[in-house]
Amino acid sequence: MTVETPDQALVRAAMEQVWESMLYAVAEPWAPGDHPDFRNGLQAQIALTGEWNGELRLTLDGTVAAEIAGAMLGADEDEELPELDVHDAVGEVLNVVGGSVKGALGGATALGLPGVTPVTVAPDHDDCVVVAWRGSPVYVQVVPAAG
Amino acid sequence: MRALVVDDSRAMRRIVGRILTDAGFEVQEAGHGQEALDLLTEHDTPPDLACIDWNMPVMDGLEFVTEVRSRPEWRSITLMMVTTESEQSRIVRALAAGAHEYLIKPFTADALQEKLDLLGLVPLTAGDLA
Repeated sequence: MTVETPDQALVRAAMEQVWESMLYAVAEPWAPGDHPDFRNGLQAQIALTGEWNGELRLTLDGTVAAEIAGAMLGADEDEELPELDVHDAVGEVLNVVGGSVKGALGGATALGLPGVTPVTVAPDHDDCVVVAWRGSPVYVQVVPAAG
Repeated sequence: MRALVVDDSRAMRRIVGRILTDAGFEVQEAGHGQEALDLLTEHDTPPDLACIDWNMPVMDGLEFVTEVRSRPEWRSITLMMVTTESEQSRIVRALAAGAHEYLIKPFTADALQEKLDLLGLVPLTAGDLA
């Protein structure tokens, strides 16, 4: 069985579900503006292996990551969350997006555990699904394995 | 009623825990299956419900369900998988291992409440006791 690379519509649908059910927000498409430089950014990665191999990569500004973590944890607006909690929340967002994508792919594909690091690879805007969180962009890119 | 939420994501534990607390449960949390087993061992009375993620480090959700089902003193615990794993084969494996219900992430608070209703897990409120 050949499994196609997940398309952007599938990823967008998964992000919309996550925004609604985990963040209690609507995932509006991001109105293109100035792209962040991500000097303070975070990047989450999660691997899909099996009949399709590659990873999903989520990139967002650090302040946006903290806001999303706060929404998930029910924190007060001015509460400063530990870095561990912010990384955990961002990783879980991508984990659930990845689970939805994996389920829609069909075939025997396994989902890894998410990892979160400072931004190492700036997202390629044209290849990303970009949705807004309080007006700021959150990028998810499907990255097929090399070879 | 008491519930144990087993998930390696603190954020997800908080989301599930908030819904269960709103439904009237006292909630405990564990970050993986082994930590959850340790918590069960420490307490004389098992919780009424355990909500369990599948993919976790140290001990995954399926191993945890299998362990719990092998111990007669924990047979009363209602086990609900709460996971991103949505394939039919996974659901069948979890139910065969002894899970009672299966909820796929992402889920809404209403979806979790519906599962609780299906399982007959409706904690008494102060109003019920009045």
